[in-house]
Amino acid sequence: MNQTENKTVCINEIDASCRVPLLALFGGAALWLVLGLLLAIAAAMSFHKPDIFADCPFLSFGHAQAAANDLLLYGFVVPAALGVMLWIFARLSQAPLALPIVPVVAANLWHVGVLIGTASILAGASSGYAWLEYSRIASVLLFAAFMLIAVSAVATMGFRAECRMYPSHWFLFAALLWFAWTFSTANLFLLSGHPPRGVVQAIIDWWFTNNVLFVWLGLTGIGIAFYFLPKLAEKPLSSTGYAMFAFLALMFFGTWCGIPQGAPVPAWLPTVSTYAASLSILPVIAVAIVAWRTVRSVGVKYTGGPLCFIKFGTLSFILSTLCYLSQFCPCYSQVLEHTWFGVGVTQWQLLGFASMILLGSIYYILPRIMDKELPFAGLARLNFFAFALGVLILVIPLLIGGVEQGLKLHAANATFTDSTNAALMFLRVSTLGQALLLLGALCLLLNIFKMTIQWKLGLLKCAIAAVKAPLPVEEVKS
Amino acid sequence: MSEENKSCSNGSNAEPTATRSSAPMWIIVVTLVLLFVGGHYLDTHGGWFSSKVYAPYNSAEQLDSFQPKSGAAAVAAQGKKVYESVCGICHGMDGAGKPGQAPPLAGSEWVLAKGINRLAHIPLEGVNGSIKVEGKDWSLNMAAMGAALSDSDLAAVLTYLRTSWGNKAGEVTADDIKKVRDEIGGHPQPVSGDQLMKMPE
Amino acid sequence: MKTGFSVFLAAFVALGASWYGFVYAPLKQLGGAKQTFILQSSDTWPVQRTGEATLGLQVYRQYGCAACHTEQVRQTGATTEIALTSLGTYKPEDFKGYIKSLVAVVPELLTSSNTLVGNIENWNGQLPVTLYAGEDSDVVAALADKLKTVGAKTDAHIVASGADIDINARSWGTRQSVAADYLYDQPVQLGSLRAGPDLSNIGVRAPDINWQLMHLYAPGSVVPNSTMPAFRTLFEVRKIVVGHPSPDALVLKKEFAPADGMEVVPTAEARELAAYLLSLKANVPLYEAPFTPVTAAK
Repeated sequence: MNQTENKTVCINEIDASCRVPLLALFGGAALWLVLGLLLAIAAAMSFHKPDIFADCPFLSFGHAQAAANDLLLYGFVVPAALGVMLWIFARLSQAPLALPIVPVVAANLWHVGVLIGTASILAGASSGYAWLEYSRIASVLLFAAFMLIAVSAVATMGFRAECRMYPSHWFLFAALLWFAWTFSTANLFLLSGHPPRGVVQAIIDWWFTNNVLFVWLGLTGIGIAFYFLPKLAEKPLSSTGYAMFAFLALMFFGTWCGIPQGAPVPAWLPTVSTYAASLSILPVIAVAIVAWRTVRSVGVKYTGGPLCFIKFGTLSFILSTLCYLSQFCPCYSQVLEHTWFGVGVTQWQLLGFASMILLGSIYYILPRIMDKELPFAGLARLNFFAFALGVLILVIPLLIGGVEQGLKLHAANATFTDSTNAALMFLRVSTLGQALLLLGALCLLLNIFKMTIQWKLGLLKCAIAAVKAPLPVEEVKS
Repeated sequence: MSEENKSCSNGSNAEPTATRSSAPMWIIVVTLVLLFVGGHYLDTHGGWFSSKVYAPYNSAEQLDSFQPKSGAAAVAAQGKKVYESVCGICHGMDGAGKPGQAPPLAGSEWVLAKGINRLAHIPLEGVNGSIKVEGKDWSLNMAAMGAALSDSDLAAVLTYLRTSWGNKAGEVTADDIKKVRDEIGGHPQPVSGDQLMKMPE
Repeated sequence: MKTGFSVFLAAFVALGASWYGFVYAPLKQLGGAKQTFILQSSDTWPVQRTGEATLGLQVYRQYGCAACHTEQVRQTGATTEIALTSLGTYKPEDFKGYIKSLVAVVPELLTSSNTLVGNIENWNGQLPVTLYAGEDSDVVAALADKLKTVGAKTDAHIVASGADIDINARSWGTRQSVAADYLYDQPVQLGSLRAGPDLSNIGVRAPDINWQLMHLYAPGSVVPNSTMPAFRTLFEVRKIVVGHPSPDALVLKKEFAPADGMEVVPTAEARELAAYLLSLKANVPLYEAPFTPVTAAK
């Protein structure tokens, strides 16, 4: 009995130590997710009615699309992932979060950085590099915030009770190094006063994009999935051997993909990427085997709970990565390069894989760190269905439209307008998917805000009660 | 602390565990096979990390074989390259010659002559003894600088002489050079101006 | 199974390797590049842009044009070929005999398809006709020499091929883009989506600055069914000063023209962007991307 109480207190203490840092991270992330999806819809509007923002340049496609993409990645995915990672490290260490004030400061720095960066893109001061459009100040703030969170994460991991690491430890710890190194290198080279000449800039941009959107995202998402899948299915993770293989193969092979096949660079660069992409299929297979064997005995229930999110996300990882890697096959890339296919794959990775896993994790973590049930549990389930349907309606038309566009671009005796017309209907349909995603994101925002307000009100009530409490008897005696 | 956690697994509050197992052998084998096959692909399509080889060219040799080799401009480029590495050091990059070293080629009657036989003999055999160029006597030795050049290269450089620096004369073909080489046979001897004048133009 | 240190080490080695291969090595190989020479010429490449065009690149970046347009031409093949352009003193029937005898000396004549040798029975003297189309320019040179000795005239060229290049496909360039083309671009705006056409040679396809300006103000007026948004903020719609209409005012079609008494004048930004677009030309042969330019006489 005592032991059970001690354990429950212990877990509550761990969760309580994560409360403020994670709220800071998740609250901002939810807001940026809504804003990012709004901007994405604004960008999509340009393909419904081209002149809609003719007199309002800051919402034109070039601005809105870049801002939306960066908000999705830096505004939602990264801070949410860091929050989930901190909680997982704390839980796995069976110790409260180390240095909890540091992530709180970092979260605020991060959100200020995202705000400055987004404003600079919309105002037209984008750097011109895909996924690195934020201005220098914003990038510095993001990097500083990331390093602060990494300090807390490493400290928490260092205080763990058991020396042996759980697979999620490997993935998430490596992910810390991965993002820090690639983000700092790319920004140092590209946004500095003397960037390298010419096409080297593009190579560094491609290296960064691949290492963040494929390797870092994969390490983070799969690390989180390998924590929650066994936990929620109440089964052990099926095999550390496959998990280790997936971890090493994703890092050693996945990092070399990224150079598009038709790029204006010497032949060895795209050839190395093709080589690496063929090898990168193997970690995907390993992840599939681990995930399948872990959850296959659990009955299928579409309740919309956290396990649904995680399973959807893991399946999205497998399928979206296979589509991503197919772009590095020289024959396919002749048709698929420079089409909406690539856009669809990226949205699948960010929304279908990373966001789904993060949302499931957030919905699991929130009630535990706040020590309170979700205020709108029904909305949380709606979030799953809206997001699942939204991802399908967003991604599948983009993929098909991209293939149609690519076939027309590749064909003789077709004009350029044929290719844009081939994709147009698919683009317009995919906007409906974005609207559904926005609906799901609003569900998250409502939940987090209500919980935050309830918590703050609770604190306020406690403070008022402490002030109003009658003075102790001893003091009245003179 | 850890014993307590092991003894009371609290449903989904328990931390996940993993079944420990070693790395599966079949996937290692497939990795090695793919590494080998991919390595072969890198070998054949990577251009050996050259900075000049771009897809669809697969190697530096293939790219080189595509460079234009026919046409007057190509011959001129080839001839210029040969001239600058073999002849220009003595005759000057501008063909003006260097006093005490080599006679000028610009405006030289030997270069501009209608027939190319005498001109071809000069690099193929070398010059020893006196030779009159543009009114001046030159008594220097010239080695057979053209003996080691291919027919095509020597033809190109002679064509270059005849079309540069204001010179306007016809081209020299590789076949012309071959004919002269066959004539000379195995023992080329340096010639003097008088000996050259005795040959047919 | 792993300690923190070994995980860190594995990640460090993995990322360090790709940092070396994709950041450091390209920097060393391409980062110090200087101008290169146009093939068979002493002219250098690339040509430095004018000041206005350089500012235009920044306008291009600010408006996010690279979100819809690419600036890279891809190439998937190359052939070196030689065509017969004049029979000299030969009659077609005699020439057929000559060609058949040539096949013994130059067996590569048989390997390429769609050439004279393949269709020799049906050929009745039409010119020009391709003699050889393959990958070996030594064969081309040998054929050129041989045919010259019999008085025939030939035309040798290297042709780049690919969906971006072929005349009856996109025809966006005459060769692929290579690193040398981007030497003076800061930042490089390669683009990754073709919602709009490729722009590497837009200065060759649409060399008229008025066309560029009209396209920016009202894309639909010069490209029917265009999905490009209009960039009206690059222009100023103002009242015509009586008797002094601006010489820079755009001449637009009726449905795109402003109200009576108003004119559309490009701002400095529009002019810079148009100058930049006009500077986008990459149609010269280089060592790494050889092709034979088509001369005007043809």
